[in-house]
Amino acid sequence: MRFLKSVYNWCEVRLGIKELVEKELTGYLLPRNINFWYSMGSILLFIFIMQVATGILLLIYYVPDADKAFGSVTTIMNRVQFGWLIRLCHAIGSSMMVLFVLLHMLSVLFMGSYKSPRELNWLSGFILFNLVLATCLTGYLLPWSQLSFWATTVATNSVGAIPYIGQFLVEFLRGGKLVGAPTLGRFFTLHVAVIPILIAAVVGLHLFFLERIGVSTPPFGLDKTSNRWQGEAFRYDDHPGGIPFFPNYLLQDMTSIAVYFALFAAVLFFSPYIFFPKDAFVQANPFQTPAHIKPEWYFLANYQTLKLFPNEFVGLSIQGAAITFLALLPFIDRGREKHPLKRPLFTVCSIGGILIFIVLMVWGHYS
Amino acid sequence: MNKPFARLSMIFLLMGMPSLCAAANAPAQEEIVCIRCHSGQPGRLGEPVKLWRDSIHAANGILCNDCHGGDPKDAVNAMSPARGFLGAPKEADIPAFCGRCHVGVMKDYLQSAHGRRLGKGGPTCVSCHSNHLVLKASLDIITEKNCTQCHSYEQAMAIKEAMQQTEGLIVSIGGDIDAFKGEGVDTDKLGKGLFSVRNRFHTLFHDVDVEKVKQESTQINSELNKLADALGKIAEQRNKRKLAGGVVVGGALIAALIFYLLRKTYD
Repeated sequence: MRFLKSVYNWCEVRLGIKELVEKELTGYLLPRNINFWYSMGSILLFIFIMQVATGILLLIYYVPDADKAFGSVTTIMNRVQFGWLIRLCHAIGSSMMVLFVLLHMLSVLFMGSYKSPRELNWLSGFILFNLVLATCLTGYLLPWSQLSFWATTVATNSVGAIPYIGQFLVEFLRGGKLVGAPTLGRFFTLHVAVIPILIAAVVGLHLFFLERIGVSTPPFGLDKTSNRWQGEAFRYDDHPGGIPFFPNYLLQDMTSIAVYFALFAAVLFFSPYIFFPKDAFVQANPFQTPAHIKPEWYFLANYQTLKLFPNEFVGLSIQGAAITFLALLPFIDRGREKHPLKRPLFTVCSIGGILIFIVLMVWGHYS
Repeated sequence: MNKPFARLSMIFLLMGMPSLCAAANAPAQEEIVCIRCHSGQPGRLGEPVKLWRDSIHAANGILCNDCHGGDPKDAVNAMSPARGFLGAPKEADIPAFCGRCHVGVMKDYLQSAHGRRLGKGGPTCVSCHSNHLVLKASLDIITEKNCTQCHSYEQAMAIKEAMQQTEGLIVSIGGDIDAFKGEGVDTDKLGKGLFSVRNRFHTLFHDVDVEKVKQESTQINSELNKLADALGKIAEQRNKRKLAGGVVVGGALIAALIFYLLRKTYD
């Protein structure tokens, strides 16, 4: 005991642990009306760590070679001890990550947390959303199944609709005229090295912005729900009399993570193939196009939108405009009100947007 | 639009690329010129395409030119003998026509009572399996309607009854293998095993010796039961996983409850 105390003292005088704990944990106060939607970020961090851990384990047996990739995934699923568990965790985790990024973004939208001075938090979050989609897209090719091969062929092909540089971009992405071994090499590098590092860096930036400006106050359960920030100078958004992060909100985070894990495990053990069509387990065959190749659920709305327009470039442009609008929302919506019921136009438009997304997704699935 | 805004828009357009480029129409499977031309024609010239679409050949990607030859990519010369076009065979040539692919089946047929009557009014492949609407080799083909075109149904019925259990097992095991394959299970060995047993079983299809069919069917059944046992073990393993999953889900929910109650004590 005395030894531990002396080790603690040794660290204390060098690192100021007591002060750090006071500042970042017990003395880090959050709004009293904070709700469980604020733990979406912690859930996402947990998912990201799970993805990295399972991804590293998969790397032990996965072979990024067009002739061996499918066989190596089959080996992981059938012959490696708990390989099926690791692979399914990674594959289902990717869909969960997209789902919870969307939920996180929706909660930020409806609670007006993207408003000044948190534009940078929103932008960094938006970049993270796109990086998550990019890591899902690049990871999709790696099993080298019929589904991954043809979905990647279709996905990379659509870039060709961009005027002037389209064909160059297609060949740049594929590393040739067609999807093949060079595409696998490129996507593998992006998936295991480039994008995860970028995600980790932008997550760090996202948390840095949060740390500097402070946690936003939810607009629920308060009389005054408009944005307090005046923009005259930098000011940390503190919450005097709020609840401490440790132990109170950390326990809320733990509760949310445990509930998420129960949901994740339920999918993993009881309906693991919900995200896998049959073509996901057939080796890629460049000479045989499957009848109905559909993208993953989170790309179905984009897929259906492109089908609605006779010109692919028009479809891409409309989606580009919608994405740009969403990215720049904090700069477009300058209203001070944060409560969703006190800004009916925003709420109606947002719900309409969500419904359109869901309808296009379902339509895309059954079309 | 001012320049910084335009630049920013371009950055986000590129940032949003993953979500854009993942979605586009799957390319339609290119149809060969035979189908393109004949499907639009009335009567007997268009009929084969309609029939073929529902056939086992269509399901397995066997196209017109695979049987009739010719050039499926050149509309002008598609039916040129110089490009290997064979057209429709004469009745006596039908077994050899089909036998180019179904070598073993042709041999069984020629040795059977049916084959021995080839050219003497006996049935050919298409009499039972149809020509363009080619039917999968199964016991469903042995029907009173089909068989009584040439002879009485009694013997055919006895053979069908003897083979029914085996056929049922083959269909059931094939379905299970397909289902497991669709879930990433390595069914290669099981699939090859079933393929071999099924082929052996199909050699009986053209045999009319009831006793021989019964004996062979019994042997084949025992081999099929071994495959069924292997599949049963996979299913059992799946159930164990579900049981473990139940424990994990329950544990996570209990942990959530404990964290929630702990948090409440601090409120």
